[in-house]
Amino acid sequence: MIDILNGALPLLYAGTVWLYARAFFSDAPVAKKIKTPVLIGTAIAHAGYLLLRTLTFQHPPITTTSEIMSLIAFCVAVAYAVTEILTKVKNTGYFILILSFFFQVVSTFFIQDLHEVKPILRSNLLGIHVSAALLGYTAISISAGYGFLYLMLYHNIKSNRFGVLYAKLPNLETLERMSFVSTVLGFFLITIAIIIGFVWLPKAYESFSYFDGKLIGTLVVWGLYGIGLVAKRMLGWQGRKIMILSLTGFVISVFSLTAINLFFSSFHNFY
Amino acid sequence: MNLVSIGINHRTAPLEVREKMWFSADEMRSILPTIRDRWFSECFLISTCNRTEIYGIPSAANGTLPAVDNVGQYLIDAKSARSFVNKHHLYSMHSAFAVSHLFRVASGVDSMVVGDVQILSQLKEGFNLAQEQRTIGIFLNRLAQSAYRVGKRARTESTIGEGAVSISYAAVELAGKIFENLSKKSALLVGAGETGELTARHLTGKGIGRLFVTNRTRSKAEELVASLGGSVSDFDQWTTTMNEVDIVISSVESPQPIIMASQLANVMRKRSNRPLFIIDIGVPRNVEPSANAIENIFLHDLDALNGIVDQNLDKRKSEIPRVNGIILEGLKEFYGWYSSLEVTPTIADLHNHFEEIRQNEVTKNANRFSSANDRELLELVTKRIVNKLLHVPTTMLKNGHEESDEIKRKRIHILRALFGLNKDADKHS
Repeated sequence: MIDILNGALPLLYAGTVWLYARAFFSDAPVAKKIKTPVLIGTAIAHAGYLLLRTLTFQHPPITTTSEIMSLIAFCVAVAYAVTEILTKVKNTGYFILILSFFFQVVSTFFIQDLHEVKPILRSNLLGIHVSAALLGYTAISISAGYGFLYLMLYHNIKSNRFGVLYAKLPNLETLERMSFVSTVLGFFLITIAIIIGFVWLPKAYESFSYFDGKLIGTLVVWGLYGIGLVAKRMLGWQGRKIMILSLTGFVISVFSLTAINLFFSSFHNFY
Repeated sequence: MNLVSIGINHRTAPLEVREKMWFSADEMRSILPTIRDRWFSECFLISTCNRTEIYGIPSAANGTLPAVDNVGQYLIDAKSARSFVNKHHLYSMHSAFAVSHLFRVASGVDSMVVGDVQILSQLKEGFNLAQEQRTIGIFLNRLAQSAYRVGKRARTESTIGEGAVSISYAAVELAGKIFENLSKKSALLVGAGETGELTARHLTGKGIGRLFVTNRTRSKAEELVASLGGSVSDFDQWTTTMNEVDIVISSVESPQPIIMASQLANVMRKRSNRPLFIIDIGVPRNVEPSANAIENIFLHDLDALNGIVDQNLDKRKSEIPRVNGIILEGLKEFYGWYSSLEVTPTIADLHNHFEEIRQNEVTKNANRFSSANDRELLELVTKRIVNKLLHVPTTMLKNGHEESDEIKRKRIHILRALFGLNKDADKHS
């Protein structure tokens, strides 16, 4: 059953993203009507998958990068669904949920089933550390999604291209606000993850190193977002510059989560 | 249905002719009863800047062929417009064509600017006036409701009414794509051109927070402020005002640009790089075009705004097939109702309705009759009562060949309403 769901989830996300794309680009009435229920169905299936993994392997799905990626995909989908329902801004789903699709595809292809986990992975502090990091990354993924939309709309307006994006997207200030709120939330959560990591991890790991790729990646991301927030507050930075910073932070965070873990050895890898 | 529509619109007459045929509400009030008394059993009139149309059911005395020329001539005379309007400017439609035309009008497909949003309220105004003057009855009331429903559906289920189709409104729409809440923003109108004024008026309509107006001739700015609200800003200080505002509408007559990119770069520094939307509707252009390259400056000229208008018009036209589907459904629904006013189905509905009541009551009370013979007798007696009750109405419906079709249908309509047969028909359909 786990394998079936693991294989089905990318297809479910692909279907959801396709429906959101049809609703956005073609105004297809059926897609407009069923996209949100299909998203909710996909999220429920994903929740079932994560629960099944937890019950089967007797540990929460946070022990490998692929499990974490699947969790991020789930968090992004749920966060988007809640945002859509609360704000009634229904036109941005394609651009946000494509992140869930991407994360889930990577997870599906690389996931391994760990029956035995290290005792350290049962620590509560690690649970808080991972949860904070996970939610933080979800927030900055969403922030990047809105940042990307901002830049597209910004350039469309500047260059007098008044096509589908212009017609369907919310205004620039709304996109900037949504991205900013997600950034602040993401920064706060990653700060918690870093503090716990710095205080507790050196004691917990014999092989702890401040030169660990993921740790450096996370610090760079955190620093970038910190610079962005300070620049916005103190130097009045806004709009395009801040959005570029947000997207850069997101690209580095994806790199830190995937490439570094796949290609470099690190105490942050648990398999 | 013996419906007639007689009118003049943007397809048959130029503006200088159409405007002579525009009827005010008071004028409509005064002519509707006369038109009804002379030619129709029911009628209503719609009059907008692009069309004046009368819809009516010819009265029995006028037979099935309405006196189109007479009605048309009466409308022309009522406006004393004989020297401007002739019968070639008028058109007439009958039966299903007239119904379909009204639905096309209501949905904005027939408007001069496709998807015109005002037509629906203008139609409603026409219906209300006719109701007030008691010149519409069962048929046109139902027709009006159906047309209104079609119009509303066209606007909610398609995008035929979406997107700005005027330069001034396109500018406001663009502002709405940059800023979240116009009530927290301020605008500066430079110059007193017509389009500029209209844009400022739309911004005021959208609740712009503050409006500044400046002009070389201060009195003109003061005049505008008196009609638009806001405050006057000194013309030689207007670049300073740009530091504070979010939107600038510039329509100054000047042979060369009056705002240079370098000036705007300074302005952006002073305003901490907050977005600045500049609508340059001056010809020649007032703002150096290269200013658009400066970050957070959104500079749009007439060509850009025209592009939005053209694109929106194309989008509206592409929605016509979808709206035609809605019109078709409206026609089906309306003719479904109209067909229900036939004699034979009404008699069947009436008998079924009574039979249903009879059967329900018999079933409920069957236990009180112990023997099979008693129950058989109960069936027989109740059937007889129902048949006797229905005998007179059935005969009345079947006879009356000498009456006009409309009177017969009116009677059927009342009967169906009285016994709730329309609800039954809706349930079964």
